[in-house]
Formats: sequence, C-alpha cells, structure tokens
Amino acid sequence: MTSYLKLAAKNILRHRTRSVLTMLGISASVGVLFAVLSFNKGFTEGLALELERTGLHFMIVPSGCAHEVAALVLHGAVIPKFLDTGVMEHVGRTDGIDLATPILVAQLPDQQRGKIDLIYGIDIAVLTAIKPAWKITGTIPRHEHEVLLGYEVAKHDNLKPGDHFSSPAEGVDLVVAGIVGYSGSQDDAFVYMPIKTAQNLLGYPQAATAIGVKVDDPTRIGAITEALTSTVPGIQIVTMGEVMNSVSNLAAAARALSLAIVLIAILISAVGVMNSILMAVFERTQEIGMMRAVGASRWDIFRIILSETTILALCGGVVGIVLSTLGARLIEAFVRSVMPFVPSGKLISFDPVVALGSVTFIFIIGLCAGMYPAVKASNINPVEAIKG
Amino acid sequence: MIELKNIEKTYRRGVENVRALRGVDLTIDAGEMIAIVGPSGAGKTTLLHILGCLDQPTKGDIFFDRVNTSGMPESQLVKIRREKIGFVFQQFYLIPGLSVFDNIALPLLFSKKPVDRKKIEKLAEMVGLEHRLNHAPAQLSGGEMQRTAIARGLVNDPAVLLADEPTGNLDTENSEKIYAILRRLSDEGLTTIMITHNPELAARAERTVKIKDGLICA
Repeated sequence: MTSYLKLAAKNILRHRTRSVLTMLGISASVGVLFAVLSFNKGFTEGLALELERTGLHFMIVPSGCAHEVAALVLHGAVIPKFLDTGVMEHVGRTDGIDLATPILVAQLPDQQRGKIDLIYGIDIAVLTAIKPAWKITGTIPRHEHEVLLGYEVAKHDNLKPGDHFSSPAEGVDLVVAGIVGYSGSQDDAFVYMPIKTAQNLLGYPQAATAIGVKVDDPTRIGAITEALTSTVPGIQIVTMGEVMNSVSNLAAAARALSLAIVLIAILISAVGVMNSILMAVFERTQEIGMMRAVGASRWDIFRIILSETTILALCGGVVGIVLSTLGARLIEAFVRSVMPFVPSGKLISFDPVVALGSVTFIFIIGLCAGMYPAVKASNINPVEAIKG
Repeated sequence: MIELKNIEKTYRRGVENVRALRGVDLTIDAGEMIAIVGPSGAGKTTLLHILGCLDQPTKGDIFFDRVNTSGMPESQLVKIRREKIGFVFQQFYLIPGLSVFDNIALPLLFSKKPVDRKKIEKLAEMVGLEHRLNHAPAQLSGGEMQRTAIARGLVNDPAVLLADEPTGNLDTENSEKIYAILRRLSDEGLTTIMITHNPELAARAERTVKIKDGLICA
C-alpha cells in the first residue's frame, strides 16, 4: 500500500550511499548529544549518590573556600589548616548531632625515604561508604595499626598486603591491610588509616581537617548549623547540597562547552540533511511535476519531502543513540581519564527520557532542515517541470 | 464536455514574450478520441496543459463540464485534475523505487482514496501487465512502462485521458499496443486526447486537430 511515508522511504532508498552518509552525520551528532546529556545526568546523580553514601549531612571545616571542602569530601585534598581541638568537643555536646566523625588529611614528610606521604585519617566505616567503587586487594584496615594504600603509593614502595609500612614516627609500626585498585585519581596517592592512627602519626592527637556530621533530624540542619556557627569561632559549615553545587559549578563550564560543540555538530548535520534533500528535490523535478499533474497538491509534495527529512533524522537519531549506548564504556573511560573528578558508578547508561528527548530534538531539527527543500519542491511549477 | 473559447497563452522565455496560443476555440465532446498534431513549437503541449488544468490561459475561457475553470485557484484545479483528468507522458515518469502496482496506485494517495487491489489488478490486466505488478520500472520495457503510466492515468476513473506523445519513445510494435489501448478506452466512452507526431496514429483518431503557430488550422 502506498503512503506518504512509504513513498518518502522509497525515495531515500533510491540514493542509498548518500542517504546513509547523511544519516551517519546525524547519528554521530545525536550520539554525542545523547552521551553528553546522559553523562550530565549520570554525573549529577552519581555525585548525589556519592554524597548520600557518606551518610553525612554537613562538614565542619576551618573557614575558607567551599571548593576546598568539595575537594576534601570527594577526593581528599590537603587543606593546610586544622580545626581547633575544642571544636570536636563542642560539636559532640551540641544538641541534635547523631554522629560527628573527624577527618584528618595532611602531609607527612619521611626524610629517610626521601618522600612525602599524604595521610588520610578517617573512620574506616565512613571511608568505605564514601568510596563504594574501590576495588581493594587485601582488606580494609580493621585495627589501628593497619593502613590502606593508594595504588601509586603501593607501586612506588613495592608494597603488598601484609607488608610493613615504614613511617617516620618512632614507635609506630604500620601494616598494609589492603591496596586500592588503580583509579587514575588522587585516591592513588593517599595512605588511608583510622583517624586515631593518623592523629598519633602526625603528632596532633585531637586534630582534624574537617568534621563530618550526621544529625538526628535532617529538618533541623538549619538550626543546628546556625547554632554551631554562632558558638564556635573560625569554622565554616558546608552542607552536602553546597558541596554538590560547588562541584556542579566547577563542571558546569565544561558541560556548557561540550553542549555547545554538540549543538554546532547537530547544526552541521542538519545543513547536510538539507543539502541532501535539496539535491534529491532537484534531481526529481520532473517526477514532482508528474505528481502534481496526477493530482498531488503543493501540500502533498511538501509532506512527502518533509517526511523524507524526518525519516532520515529519526533513523539517524535512533542509530546514534544505539551506537552511543553500545560505546558508553569507551566514552566513559575517556571522560574519566581527562576529568579531574568523576563520581563512581555508571555514568552513561540508556535512559529512556534522555533518549526520547534527544530523538525529539533531532526530529524538530529534521523538520526545520526539511522546511526549505519542502517549500522549494512544493513551489515547483508542474508545467516547467514536465517540459524538463 | 470541454469547450475552449478564444484561448490565448503568453509566457516569458528570457527577455521575450512567447505567444504559444493565439486565440484557440475548440469543443470536445464526451467519448471523443482526438489527435492533436502540428510542428514542434506550435503550441500543442501548451494546449494540452491548459486542457488538463495544469496551466491557466492568459486570456479566454475554458469550460469543463460547463464550469469555467479559467482563473480558478490552484486548490480547485488540483481537485479537477484528481477527479476528472488522467495524464500520460512521453517519458512515462514512473517512480523508480515503487513497484508497478504502487506506481499505478500513486494517484490514489493524492485523491485520498483507499487502494483497491482488485481495481489495480484489473487495470494492469487491461494494459497487459498483470504478471508485472511486483516488478520495478527498471525491469520493464519502454512499452510496458508506458502501459503502466496509462493504468496510472486511469486509476482515478477520469473523464478525460490526456496523452502527450504517448508513443514518442516507442517502437512501432509498442506504439500499436498503446494505440490499441487508447482506442479501446475511447470505445468504452473515455474522452481521449493525444498529441502525436505519428501521422498514422493521428489518422486513426476520430478527429484530428492541427495546430500551427498557436492557432488551430484544421
């Protein structure tokens, strides 16, 4: 049975190579659009999940930059300040606090080995919650004298689980409980240990770079943070939402740039579609003249040509999404290798909403790109066309 | 059925005005078979396009079933073309991607009529193509392509079939077949108007209209 769609599809198939190349242009740009949108969604969700997994509602840090806090929470940046020892006691006494866990991140020079260790002291239970994606060879530290080594530290010192980890502090004997698998991030450079061990090693028995806090009732976060900032001087409280905003803001420029590039690519492929369809219209001038003669109205011709563009755009869009989904691992691996911080977990996965959004977008672009050739075709004078 | 009164047609070609028709008067009765003959550039095709509501005269009136179609808007002319006129061209103009069946059915798409398989098979049988319905135009001979085009021109049950040199690209044998089909259609009551350069075919039509320099001369 003949229909506008069938006629349009048959017309597309008449020039297979040209149609496939045009469609591939659309596929490439839609695939990238889908990957970028999926990545942005995955990034935001992954970040939120990662922050949620910490089980903490806010961080108390020395007054300073919010970005430093974000870096500390997400990948253990060294903040060259400590909280006063009294802060922890004060936090502990504050009403409504369920859990207050100190985090100590500091540099520990070891002159004997001629290097500086980056020490990350934390409640180990919190650490495993923050880093669920870590692949650990051996075990996580279960005793105060056990440490977990970042991949690069273990590689540099040629250490494996069960080995002795030399420390510059006298009388401190540490054993490697486990080694974190390669992550390509700053995680590879740290020596993780229970907070007490870190404090003893660094010689600051009560020191903390930050205190992670969980409250009894999340609806009271505002009141609790207000109470803390008004009574404890020299501290800054950053909620996990603010940490998320901070990281999101840092990534926003990259996201905007990538989206702009994708939109330009889509624009170029739309021009390709327009050109391809326009060529087809010129080639089929006599045929269009015949159709007008046998009863096709201008609107009929307009519909046929517009159908051709939308079929190309839709097929290209669907193929692009399929290719992007299939190549998600490669894209993700590339992104992880170039971005300073990427949340753990799957970042690019098939999301029907994003897929539908991308296809709808390219459908609209296809309609726009097909408008000019369709108008051109519908205005072909049948008498002139048939004369050839 | 069709009456032309003082039809003139002037169009521009580059910087000059070409007077293709200079006052044509012609009356065509229902069921007639007419051959339009004349030298190249005489105005035959222009006359056929005006008869087929594909073009509008610059001056004069054209009555189709007593309805004056000169000056009608394109939307109404399209309707007349769909409902009352069938076209056959010298170059066939079949759509390469469609089968013979779909090429015959194509005008139904534009007239928004359902595809009646039996009707198309009957038309194909009438033009001797019942065994070729699933073939692509590229698999057909010139004569078969033209017969497909005739079936396409008939699918909307037109009152008039207009054929612009339907045998112009065909050998004698195929020309005879095409003529036989047109003759049969005319005998069954279809008004058939064809332009031809073939004097033998023209002589076999019921009436021959000779046109020269935009005027009917015989």
